[in-house]
Amino acid sequence: MSAKSEAPAEKKRRRMSYEKKKSLYGYGFIGLWLVGTVLFFLIPLGKSLWYSFCDVSVDPGSLKTKFAGFKNYFSVIGEDPYYTEYLGDTLIEALWKTPLILIFSLFIAVLLNQKFRGRTLARAVFFLPVIIATGPVFKIISGDMNSTGNSGAQQFSTMFSTDLVGELMQFLGIYGISDRMSDMISAVADNIFGIVWSSGIQILLFLAALQNIPSSAREAAQLEGATAWEYFWKITFPYVSPFILANLIFTIIDSFTNPMNSVMNRIVSMKNQWEFGAASAMAWIYFGIVLAVITVIAWAIGRFIYYEND
Amino acid sequence: MEDTKAVPEKKLSRREKRRRYMENMSAEERAYLRRKSVKDKILPFFRFVILAGLSFVILYPLIYMISCAFRERGDMSDPTVMWIPRHYTFDIIRETIDVMDYWDTLKNTVLLNIGCSLVQVAACAVTGYGFARFKFKGKKLLFGIVIMMILVPTQVISLPLYTQFRYFGIKGLFSVNLIDTHFTMYLPAMTANGIRAGLMILIFRQFFKGLPRELEDAAYIDGCGPFMTFVRVMAPNAIPAFLTVFLFSVVWYWNDYYVSNTFFTAPRTVALMLTNLDSQLKIKLFNDPSVQISPREQIVWKEAGCLLSIAPVLLMYVFLQKHFTEGIERSGIVG
Repeated sequence: MSAKSEAPAEKKRRRMSYEKKKSLYGYGFIGLWLVGTVLFFLIPLGKSLWYSFCDVSVDPGSLKTKFAGFKNYFSVIGEDPYYTEYLGDTLIEALWKTPLILIFSLFIAVLLNQKFRGRTLARAVFFLPVIIATGPVFKIISGDMNSTGNSGAQQFSTMFSTDLVGELMQFLGIYGISDRMSDMISAVADNIFGIVWSSGIQILLFLAALQNIPSSAREAAQLEGATAWEYFWKITFPYVSPFILANLIFTIIDSFTNPMNSVMNRIVSMKNQWEFGAASAMAWIYFGIVLAVITVIAWAIGRFIYYEND
Repeated sequence: MEDTKAVPEKKLSRREKRRRYMENMSAEERAYLRRKSVKDKILPFFRFVILAGLSFVILYPLIYMISCAFRERGDMSDPTVMWIPRHYTFDIIRETIDVMDYWDTLKNTVLLNIGCSLVQVAACAVTGYGFARFKFKGKKLLFGIVIMMILVPTQVISLPLYTQFRYFGIKGLFSVNLIDTHFTMYLPAMTANGIRAGLMILIFRQFFKGLPRELEDAAYIDGCGPFMTFVRVMAPNAIPAFLTVFLFSVVWYWNDYYVSNTFFTAPRTVALMLTNLDSQLKIKLFNDPSVQISPREQIVWKEAGCLLSIAPVLLMYVFLQKHFTEGIERSGIVG
């Protein structure tokens, strides 16, 4: 308010001070978060980076750190019996699961966007994983699925088992595909549970994107006599493409930071053995890889996205 | 008699009409119509099969939970029992409620959840607004930190965070032990640094960026300061976004077991109770040497525990489903 009471003749100074004031207000708005983030995010983050370069020992009452250079990193990569193996497994799993989740969720979103009876119910069911899949219940559920001691789960998984797919392929007269291909197909069939359960949010986002397609585009396509296939590739896909990037990044982050994946388990178990230095080094290597992957993907995909406003 | 005669006549005439109508069309048009009528019948069928099959995949664990939680443990070893139990009982549920200390834990969790979610949503909204509408030095860098908050898994910072809370205060002056108090959850939530806060800040930023600037300009001209503008003008416009983010926040806090496991030594939330259910069951139920319970039969209690711990969120979801799904569509990340 003080800006108003100043002399109106000094127009330039007043403008400057208004700008400054606005920027001060900006700091005011984010101030609370800034304090919190320094205390609860940046300092711990820095500390964990520091631990990863140190020999950490636990004294009663405090942690003792002694600088050790890259020792932790070398020992984690070179000597730890599980870490590199788990790392490879997790990366490969994310590599083939992510595109599958994206394709699947886009497909389901297109289906759920159509008008039919019971659509609300179907949507409710498909979003159900959103509220369950982050919790401990899901850990137990997916444990059920994997453990063989559970008759229900076993029967369930045989429904989608390798044999069935193989039989189907033979029935269709497809013999000549390579082992790798049939491995992939059977992996998809076996993992349908995991894929369905981890694509709740993605379906939600794609559905939101689909409903943002202007009806004029749809009408134009209909007038021109576009088939459903053409409509999908020429209209739906370009409109949805920004969301593919968002969903892709979300899926990658989700699968990498999932507390159930084996690298995370290894890090946590190292922590429980009080090997803080090694655990921090593991976490930082992992985090570095994830960051690199996301940067590369965002850069590569960002070039192919169609933005309506541009 | 006359009635029955009249009906086929009418039908015939309609068919006749249709035949004439068809005759007037070209062959292409007729082919198109035929194709369309076939397609209109087949597509819904395939859609139904796909959606029903996948719905089964999603609902399977829930059905299994319900089926297990209400059967006697003997039914687990009965090979003829798959879905429908032979002996119904509420005992398993009752015992699990006892073991989990369910009602107390539930009260505790709900209070913690709703409290944390409320303050966190408010804090994130304010921060998101700051990032959306103000220019200041270092904004890009600070927003980079927000993105980092999304990317960095909690597991990376949980240990230093533990020491932070264990000796909370100014070094050399004073320090308080906050471990095992609710402050460990409330303080980060209050300052927009709780569970998945980065994502929420991002959502609010996107949302406020999408609101028209004229709204604020009008308020400024009427002599509102920025804070009053936010409270009086922007926040009321953002109520659907607030609601959606709040619901998600409740769910995320409800499901969290990693963070709370780091800071609470006693299992005092439902999620923690469930992760510790095995050991609790061993202490309180299976300790009795007179009963032999095979691992297969223990599944009954586990499934009952699962059912109990998701029942509240499931109920919330059933009643507020619209806000979960439509809120996202209307607000947030769209755009």
